Amino acid sequence: MSTVETPVASSNEAPPPSPLKRIATYAANQQFILFLVLIGVMIFFDFHNTRFFGTSEFTNLLVDFSEAVLIAAAEMYVITSGGIDLSVGSTIAVSTVVGAYAIQYLEGHHFGEFPSLLVGTFVCAGVGGVVGTINALLITKARLVPFVATLVTLSMGEGLALVFSKGGTVGYDPAAAVWSSTGFWIFRWLTLIVLGITVILGIVLHVSRYGRYNFAIGSNPFAARAAGINVNRHVASVYVLSGVLAGLTGMIWYFNSSGGAPQNGIGNELEAIAAVVIGGVSLVGGVGRFSGIILGVAILTVVHDGLVFINVATTWNEVVVAGFIALAAVLQSLSSGSKRRT
Amino acid sequence: MKSRSMRLIQGAAVASTLAASVFTFVGGTAAVANAASKKFTVAYVVGAASDPFFLSMKAGASAEAKKLGINLVWQGNPSVYSSATQIPIVQTLLAIKPSALVLAPTDTKALQPLVAQYIAKKIPVFNVDSGDANQSNITSWVTGNNLQGGQAAADALASAMGYAKNCTAASKCVVAIGVSSITTSTDAARLKGFAAEVAKKYPNIKALNPIVSNSQPAVATSGFKQDLAANKVSGIFAIDGTDLEGAAQAILTAGSAAKSIKVVGYDAYATTIKSMQAGKISAIISQQPALEGKDIIDAVYAKLTGKGKISHLTTLANIVLTPANCAKLCATYVYKTA
Repeated sequence: MSTVETPVASSNEAPPPSPLKRIATYAANQQFILFLVLIGVMIFFDFHNTRFFGTSEFTNLLVDFSEAVLIAAAEMYVITSGGIDLSVGSTIAVSTVVGAYAIQYLEGHHFGEFPSLLVGTFVCAGVGGVVGTINALLITKARLVPFVATLVTLSMGEGLALVFSKGGTVGYDPAAAVWSSTGFWIFRWLTLIVLGITVILGIVLHVSRYGRYNFAIGSNPFAARAAGINVNRHVASVYVLSGVLAGLTGMIWYFNSSGGAPQNGIGNELEAIAAVVIGGVSLVGGVGRFSGIILGVAILTVVHDGLVFINVATTWNEVVVAGFIALAAVLQSLSSGSKRRT
Repeated sequence: MKSRSMRLIQGAAVASTLAASVFTFVGGTAAVANAASKKFTVAYVVGAASDPFFLSMKAGASAEAKKLGINLVWQGNPSVYSSATQIPIVQTLLAIKPSALVLAPTDTKALQPLVAQYIAKKIPVFNVDSGDANQSNITSWVTGNNLQGGQAAADALASAMGYAKNCTAASKCVVAIGVSSITTSTDAARLKGFAAEVAKKYPNIKALNPIVSNSQPAVATSGFKQDLAANKVSGIFAIDGTDLEGAAQAILTAGSAAKSIKVVGYDAYATTIKSMQAGKISAIISQQPALEGKDIIDAVYAKLTGKGKISHLTTLANIVLTPANCAKLCATYVYKTA
């Protein structure tokens, strides 16, 4: 299945480029095209309403970007390692609910606002870690395929979020929301923290040995095992990481909605996967650039928000997003097709 | 009529519903076990069982059923309000041969063939909250008035914004709207009532296209913040509790410019009442789910025992909660979820 060539090998074998090929090479540089698309879409929105390039809208965009980017990064890690994690959305829901109970309890027992929120953050990450561990055990011990294993935890998380919360939003914490809306210029403290985590995740994926193992396993798990990599341990750690990132996203949603709502995050795994696909990451594993998913999340955020901004009925949202996914997928197949023909 | 594969799919759906009911509705299962000791068993199928609206209805219906010695089998998909998930549940419950069926249909037409099957087995069918388009098979229907609720919301919002003084033809008051779904009958009716009242009485209000939140408060928040950044918004109409939570949050985090924005919306959740007390919401349109539940159980009891009068349609008024009357009314009308 996974006979994915490395980009380096294919470019070494490239014949003298014809003009058509050269265009295809540009098209193959998906990051560049995505960047142009992003700028183009933003100019389009500003053309309709010049408030778009304003600090208040850019603050909004960054908040929404930070809600989506960590699970997209999680999905990137999992997919490049050759798996998939469908449970990130419902992990957000269950962790935001459990975290909200923890914060509510602590604040009710005279803990200060800040320590309660800090503990809540660890609780959210911990709940995510538990879900990730269940995924890891189902995949590496019970030998389920990742799609099925994470489908199990997807349903479980969605159900448990409703059971735990009894349907309504848990807690009511406007102080947390007020804190999360402080910062400077277009940055809020919360978005800065998330951006920091994102940068670290990108560096780890592309610079560290952990990241190299990830790509190696995604390209060819048998070769990776032969090369002495403990594939099971690495795969397990990737799912735990994914769970923890989804749990932290649950805490972001807590901040952004003053409480733990069991509906929050439901279905967001598909948005994360869409961002990964738009970012040019191969769904069979082993290939992808972190900057691609950053652009993918940015484009999805700008499109989602911008359509509301210019007062287009939100029912069109998904249709437009589908168009972007199709565009990205076609670019990807064109570029890989041009390699295969050589 | 149906193809074999369709029946297989439906069978699987029924099986999974039953399995789900064992795990999630321990209370309901226990009730089935007790069925023999009670006089009547009434199947009660709601839209989304964990919505605080339906939880509150459950509290009202259960208390009345207990008083009258009725055994209640409460069912509904935990979170999805859709006929696709409701039909298998209604079909499954036909097998326990209840004395009556109370149904909050998630679609005005899709449940009717099943209702006919109940009627064929001489099981009377009642509607609560939403109703079937064809009422000829329905013994009694208790519902809130969503059209009137939308109108009441428009009036409350206009008054909160100071319509006569602040909204003029030259500078119209911009109103953002949040809905959970554009296909749910209740949302549609409220939106229609709101739009009709605006068209009739408030020409200087300009309504933006509705944000569709899929019942996720944070999605509503994000959408409202877009509207706030793009326009000089004076008011927000939130069509249900999840959107109202989202609206209050948007006001809270959007900075000083948003402080003057007036918010009016549906559903007296505990959280939305707290937001109103904190000054983020001007008025809450509260339905009476517990009373809907109680009244429909009374109607069922009257039908089964032949005692008492049954009116075919009971429309309960909406209660408009405001900071002024909250001290007196909020405790009574808040949706009790436990």
